[in-house]
Amino acid sequence: MVSTRALRIFLSLAFALSAVSCGGGSGSGGSMTPPPPPPPPATNNVASVIVDQGPSGNSVNTLFVSVTVCAPGSTTACQTIDHIQVDTGSYGLRLLAPVLTVTLPVETLANGNTVAECTQFVDGFSWGPIVTADVQIAGETASSLPVQSIGDSRYTAVPSDCSSGGGMLEDTVADFGANGLLGIGPFDIDQPACATAAETACYYACASPTSCTNSAVPTAMLVSNPVTHFASDNNGIMISLPSVPSAGQLTVTGSLIFGIDTQSNNASGTQTVLTLDNNAELLMMFNGQTLANSFIDSGSNGIYFTDTALVTCTAMGLTDFYCPSNTLTLGLSIQGMNGVMANNLTFDVGNAATMLSANPTFNAFPLLAGTNPNTGSFDYGLPFFYGKRVAVAVEGDNTAVGTGPYIAF
Amino acid sequence: MPITAPNTFKSAALFGAMLAAALSPCVATATLGEPEVTVQTDIAQAHASIKSLQDRATYRVHEIALPSGTVMREFVAPSGKVFAVTWHGPRRPDLRQALGQYFDTYVSAPRSRFADRRHVQIQQGDLVVQAGGHMRALSGRAYLLSAIPSGVNIGDLH
Repeated sequence: MVSTRALRIFLSLAFALSAVSCGGGSGSGGSMTPPPPPPPPATNNVASVIVDQGPSGNSVNTLFVSVTVCAPGSTTACQTIDHIQVDTGSYGLRLLAPVLTVTLPVETLANGNTVAECTQFVDGFSWGPIVTADVQIAGETASSLPVQSIGDSRYTAVPSDCSSGGGMLEDTVADFGANGLLGIGPFDIDQPACATAAETACYYACASPTSCTNSAVPTAMLVSNPVTHFASDNNGIMISLPSVPSAGQLTVTGSLIFGIDTQSNNASGTQTVLTLDNNAELLMMFNGQTLANSFIDSGSNGIYFTDTALVTCTAMGLTDFYCPSNTLTLGLSIQGMNGVMANNLTFDVGNAATMLSANPTFNAFPLLAGTNPNTGSFDYGLPFFYGKRVAVAVEGDNTAVGTGPYIAF
Repeated sequence: MPITAPNTFKSAALFGAMLAAALSPCVATATLGEPEVTVQTDIAQAHASIKSLQDRATYRVHEIALPSGTVMREFVAPSGKVFAVTWHGPRRPDLRQALGQYFDTYVSAPRSRFADRRHVQIQQGDLVVQAGGHMRALSGRAYLLSAIPSGVNIGDLH
């Protein structure tokens, strides 16, 4: 039966083919010409983002997105996780293991050891194994992406060199302030140097989940920016947020757009392109000084700079924020490593204590500013993004207006 | 909750570190609030290298390059006491070593009202720890208020 059916199909195909080839010269068969294939549907490259109180209930100026993770190759072992922080100041996806309901495989080295990482943040560190997942955001997918699983209940023994870096262990949603971190800055790998050397407080090989030692780990297994793994729209991102009233706002919603000049909704247009150095930093000119370690960063929740003329707050827990008696408007210029200047910008500094007490439920405060212990640095956090469309291009990738790493607005 | 290990563990760790320091010929480098020791002996142990030793008017600076690329500086008062430690680079130095008896105070200090992953501003008694930066570029400093030599501007310590 099968062979008979196959024969029939073959014969009918052959007939059809011969009819087409024999009729080629007639020129009258308009109805036989197949219509041109429709253009491939554009990938949905826009994810909704929100500034709200976050899972810890007390976030300010913190941008969140939802991410779907699936076991590699699976379309059913999937989970959508909300309140993943959008961070242009780090690289790679990190998830808080306590919120994970799908099982994701832990990376394994050639010798059978699993891979774990100590991730240092300014205020502390996170510890956990590297798992792989198919990561979906909007219509984009990064397949088999190395992702850190923070606070994994199997990996309970934090190595001493990890904790000796200091700060607090951030391995719960409450301490982390988010269900995860989406690092989509202008580079691909989080700690590229740890591919070639067994560095302290970096990557580890684990003979068992509680026995991990410093180890070099192949680059392809290091935590990596998901955007660079997308099939398209993979040369960078744009964050588009509305402006926020000076007093603040309860929540802010906007868009995280993948790709730059890859679709009609992410054209660079006349954006000013400021290229970045190897640390994703650029120059900011403030108060007559050039601050060489400056950066624009969606993962910072305020505007952090040194100005000894400004009054700091006296309220408990706020002493590193500014509390001027009246809102101040200050000048700022930003210069890329390409020499391009964004001149004569201004920003407003409000009274942190007053804005908080006036609207204690608000989560977006564009005028929130604080001190910066690095007097050579101006850290312009999420308030920079309010009322703008900011592009971050990945190192080595081209757009219509330049080559990453750059930031444009 | 994750900040504080049981005190017994801390004591044991501290004792262990002190024991190791006492027994090892490669004594680790100078520690905040303690006397300046010979830094060269630290170099082999940490696989680090001295970048420079500067004598300034009111203090001395040891600059130490760690394998990660992080640069650590230790500031020594005329009395010979380490009054400040600073760092800048892809990862922090071993602050348990560098802060010594002050490490636990630093780790367990309450956080700022608007804490994020980019800023630290801690003052607990005599100890001040300030840090900033972002992934691949972490910087900070720790100092003892009572040990700062007169005439030294903390803003100059970086």
